[in-house]
Amino acid sequence: MRRAGGVLAALLLLAGVAFAILHGQTGTERTVTVRGLIGSEKLDFFNDPAVVDELKARGFKVAMETTGSWSMAGSSLDGYGFAFPSSLPPAEEIRRQRQISTEPVRPFYSPLVVVAHAPVADVLLKNGLATKGSSGVWTFRMGDYLAAVQAGRTWQQLQDTAGHADLSGALYIRTTDPATSSSGALHLAAVAYLANGGTVVSDDASLAKVTPLVQKLTQMQGDQKTSSDGPFKDFLSGIGDPLVLVYESQVAALVAQGRSTGDLVVLYPDTTVSSDHTAIGLTPDGDRLAGLLRDDEKLRALEARYGFRPQADPGAFTGALAGRQSPAVFAPDLSAAGIRQAPVPAFGMLSKLIDAAKGR
Amino acid sequence: MRTRAIRRGGLAAAALALLLTGCTGDPKPREEDLSPTPKDGVLRILAGSELQDMAPVLEEARKATGVTVQFAWTGSLDGADTVSSGRADGKYDAVWFPSEHYLRLDDAAKSELVSQTPVMVSPVAVGVRSGMLSELGWGDGSQVTWGMLGDAAAAGKLTYGMADPSRSNSGFSALVAVASAFSGASAALTDADVAKATPSLQRFFTGQKLTSGSSGWLAQAYQQAYRTGAGNRVDALVNYESVLLSLNRTLPAADRLTVIRPVDGVVSADYPLSLLASAGQPARDSFQRLTKYLLRTDVQQRISEQTLRRPVTAEVAPAAGLPTDRRRELPFPGSRAVADGLLASYQNELRRPSRTVYVLDTSGSMEGSRLDALKRAMARLAGADDTRAVRRFRDREEVTLIPFASEVKAERVHQVPASAPEGELSAVQADVQGLTASGGTALYSTLEEAFRVVARQQAAAGDDRFTSIVLMTDGESNQGASEADFRSFYGQLPAGGRTVPVFPILFGEAAKGQLQGIADLTGGKLFDGTGQAAGSLDGVFEEIRGYQ
Repeated sequence: MRRAGGVLAALLLLAGVAFAILHGQTGTERTVTVRGLIGSEKLDFFNDPAVVDELKARGFKVAMETTGSWSMAGSSLDGYGFAFPSSLPPAEEIRRQRQISTEPVRPFYSPLVVVAHAPVADVLLKNGLATKGSSGVWTFRMGDYLAAVQAGRTWQQLQDTAGHADLSGALYIRTTDPATSSSGALHLAAVAYLANGGTVVSDDASLAKVTPLVQKLTQMQGDQKTSSDGPFKDFLSGIGDPLVLVYESQVAALVAQGRSTGDLVVLYPDTTVSSDHTAIGLTPDGDRLAGLLRDDEKLRALEARYGFRPQADPGAFTGALAGRQSPAVFAPDLSAAGIRQAPVPAFGMLSKLIDAAKGR
Repeated sequence: MRTRAIRRGGLAAAALALLLTGCTGDPKPREEDLSPTPKDGVLRILAGSELQDMAPVLEEARKATGVTVQFAWTGSLDGADTVSSGRADGKYDAVWFPSEHYLRLDDAAKSELVSQTPVMVSPVAVGVRSGMLSELGWGDGSQVTWGMLGDAAAAGKLTYGMADPSRSNSGFSALVAVASAFSGASAALTDADVAKATPSLQRFFTGQKLTSGSSGWLAQAYQQAYRTGAGNRVDALVNYESVLLSLNRTLPAADRLTVIRPVDGVVSADYPLSLLASAGQPARDSFQRLTKYLLRTDVQQRISEQTLRRPVTAEVAPAAGLPTDRRRELPFPGSRAVADGLLASYQNELRRPSRTVYVLDTSGSMEGSRLDALKRAMARLAGADDTRAVRRFRDREEVTLIPFASEVKAERVHQVPASAPEGELSAVQADVQGLTASGGTALYSTLEEAFRVVARQQAAAGDDRFTSIVLMTDGESNQGASEADFRSFYGQLPAGGRTVPVFPILFGEAAKGQLQGIADLTGGKLFDGTGQAAGSLDGVFEEIRGYQ
């Protein structure tokens, strides 16, 4: 009797496991914990209870540690199941260093944008530095901007700046420190691409050609913050520079979550770079998790709620913003809005570009 | 177990009192309540003393998140040194200063920090006595420039207090702002900009009549001077907008300040709470819970209402009384060389020179290790090793040494020249090393003599200097004039004499009551050199430099 009861119990247990597998459910013993090293901008996403629940339903628990995406390539990755920097160059560097042959997964991306308060955007419009499309999407004219920087233009020299106490001094876009932060580094890549006549910087000759401009743009800013959260918070608090470079996702997350962005205007540089949030599996579980972040419909909707654009689901981003009233207008489709993507130099050349910008 | 500031009840009133006691500038952080090892639910933060007014908010944070904050207090620039040298690792989990501008200029310090999270904002502004605005022709103060402030200072119409830029973020921010404005620099300052602005900066600094190691003490000194008449009455204070507005809440109407954010630009503090890269996972979890709480809409609202700083979220309006028109944010220098060069210029060229009198107890009880400690502390001030002009006797400074015991033993006057100061500094060294210990302690008689020396020096030179007296003693006064004698002597000093603060240093068996009385009477501040650690007297002598 006892033995038969034991067999019966075992059978029931097996049936339960089979049920769980077939239905994608998990008992606690089926959940694998994956350690991930992620860029800090994705921390809120991974902490969201809805994200935690969906990952759990798919058999994962993620233990996160955060670091600057740019420094991730230099970190020890032993013991991690996946790394998730916010752009491709450090991801490529990690794959090279660890000789990883599987394709990196890019679950979502977010373009770099310029933010300005509404009266400042109007000044840019009047001076031909920005345009506003019929759909309300603003475009920032990078070529004209860089020409103004090269000419040493100040805000006071522009039309219609009288009465704006915050509009004085040199015209420039405030960025983060390119040596520590990918937004600052990717912006330099876009500038260098334009300054090199629409060709990616790939050798020392073209590097020398663009060095004066990238150096000027960096040194005129003086002290730069180490990550993109700082300049954006300064902007929202009403201090800081008139033009600030941020990720679209920083603004879109606030709007998608029904929070105010004040009179903030999103300006899409006509040539920009997107941060390709790239997940690199370091273990088989990490590989599966990376795929899930790209393919799971619920996760994609949640990604959009944090302002990211899911690669495989263009509708998710506009869906998350639908019905939200905000002065910040987002481009549903970047290429349709005429926004070009500048190619980013390889990691080694980008590092040289950063050193050149910092005068090192 | 938890920190005294955070746990105690009835905190709203205590917070301002703490703010006004202003105790930053200690080269060594004060950390008596700090857990020696990491603990779950505890975040150990090395912080600027400006953050003391966050106590009520952090008490509510503890209830809501279970995270208890333990603070160690230090000055912003000293804190940057602690981080860059790695001395913060393992000892603290996070840092929280008004700004990390200076810290970031050091690559080593910068790489020690992660997750820098601005929590609130306050620009460095100028609070001018409201009654003076109309006589200066400044209307409601909303259109005033740094140039107008400089002109008024140069014309003798405006005096002000400003914290020492080599120590305090508010002083450094103001120095950067005024140098940017006067040089006409359209972007981050360079050495050439600083050189170009030098004449205008010198004019501006003729109005600085009060200096201090911390922004908190400055507010306290202003209040004391008008309430009790002790120390220097100034017309204006350079300080955080939040400190000026908080001070107004405690001042009688006649003494209130109109807060001017110069229209040509400001440098703001954004109070980033930053995790040390060395912190372990439990501290990281506590850090995340706390920062998330502090950025909540309702909490941002409360922070703005209680501290009069500005919120960092767009949906929260700044508290009533905070104007919302924007100012240009002046860029901070991008290199340590420019920043340190600006500080050295301020100390050695731009500010009014100092007249500094050291009254040094060399009675018999000082024999041995005490005299050695005194010699070492004074020798550091006469030494050359001083990266950001934080302690050495400045170019153009007049230094008088008055060693005493039963009577004054000597009066040695040293004029540090405007350039090539090494020879005179060596002469100070020689005098210091020649001190010997013997005799009793005629404290008050010697102090009276120091005031007479100052009066003679002022009369002979006919100049206008930051003038102060440092009084170091290891015992009670047991000879010569009594405390009552000294009070009556002090009461009969001409008005000019009564603007000279005395900074007493408690050492050995000195009588704290006597020394505190001298500090209060003269508008000075008592410093404690009795710490057991070797070098604690060094730290105190260095800290006082911020007030000279």
